[in-house]
This record gives sequence, structure tokens and C-alpha cells, in this order.
Amino acid sequence: MLNKIIVAVQKGDFDLDYELETLKLKTEKAGAVVIFVGKVRDLEDDNLRYLEIESFEDLAKNQIKEICDDAANKWDLEFILVKHRFGRLKINDNIVLVITSSKHRKNAYEASEFIMEYLKNNVPFWKKEVADKTQKWVENS
Amino acid sequence: MGKVKLKYFSRIRETIGKTSELVEIKSTNIQDLIEELQAMGEQYSVLKGRDFAVYSAVDQSIVTDVKTSIEGATEIAFFPPMTGG
Repeated sequence: MLNKIIVAVQKGDFDLDYELETLKLKTEKAGAVVIFVGKVRDLEDDNLRYLEIESFEDLAKNQIKEICDDAANKWDLEFILVKHRFGRLKINDNIVLVITSSKHRKNAYEASEFIMEYLKNNVPFWKKEVADKTQKWVENS
Repeated sequence: MGKVKLKYFSRIRETIGKTSELVEIKSTNIQDLIEELQAMGEQYSVLKGRDFAVYSAVDQSIVTDVKTSIEGATEIAFFPPMTGG
């Protein structure tokens, strides 16, 4: 039985320890917590100065809520949290946090991957890499 | 039709040079609207999607068919492929 879905599109960072403690209070019957954090990485052939993430905030939040509802229907989950940042981020800054919790690990793993795959191409965020030599909009493959 | 708020994101925002604008339109679907906007200036030709796919959202709902009706819409957004995560 799903206890809670939390979704946020925000400029500021998220606090992983706080989110984990909050989750534990709400999911005493869950034995598994899968945490995925996407972070800013440097480029292979250039030095990244910053990553600019643009968002269509309201639509992005609605799209994420929809995919969380889908995940809750497909898997037996106790808790889903998705927080996605926008704005100017530096190397190693956090971009996205996905937490899924379930009684056993398989559901939490699969739901986490399902949500992340959807986030890549279906939620209105756009990344621009600004590096020493070039600046370009990221294209997902 | 009447006035609608048009919003542009990412590469499309950069090409058109605006984040949003209020425009009086006659078109009743996305395809016609793109043609209508092109008549306003060459920068709007980016909406034809020659260099990359162009997505649109009508009143915060993503549409995939350019023939989708926009009658009664108050906000229409245009944006390139999304790259979240």
C-alpha cells in the first residue's frame, strides 16, 4: 500500500539524510529503499564550467506526478520521492533524486529505473553544457 | 481565436529571442499556428522542426499531433526534445 508520493521541481539542493529519515517514519513495513542520485559530471574532451538546467516547472511537476502514479500502479510500493533541480549547477552538484521504497527490493529497483528512464526524455527539462571551448544543449540518445 | 500566451524554451527561446509573448492568433491548430507565426518573422521558422523535433504543450498538456485543436487555449508552449534526469 503506497503511503506517499512526494514530487518537487526546485532550484535548491536536496538533503538526502533528511529525506531518508522522513521516509523511514512513513514506511515501517518496507524493507527496501532504493536511492538514485543524478549529478553533474565533467566532460570527456573539455572542461565544464557549469550546467544550466532550464525547466517548464508546472508541466514538469505534473509529468513527474503522472509517472509516479504509473509506477505506483505497476509495482507494490510504499513510498516514492522525486526531486529534480533546475538552474546553474557545477560539477558534482546534485541534479535529481529518486527514492523508491517497497517491502522487498525488486519492486523498488524496477520502479526507480522506470521513473528515471521516463525523466530522461519525457519531462520538460533542458540541459546546456557551458565549457571552456564550447557551449551546447545536451541531446539525449 | 483571440490572444494566447506563447512560451518558448531552450534552443527555441534562444532563436526566437523571447521567453514568452501575448499574441493575437487566427489559427485553430498547432500546424496552422506555426505557419501563422512564421509570417511574423524568419526566427519563427525554428518551429518547423527542420533541425530538431519541436514539441508543444497546450494549456500544460503535451501534444503529439500538430493537428490538435488549440481553440479556447490560453497558453501554448514550444520546446525541443527534453533532456531531464
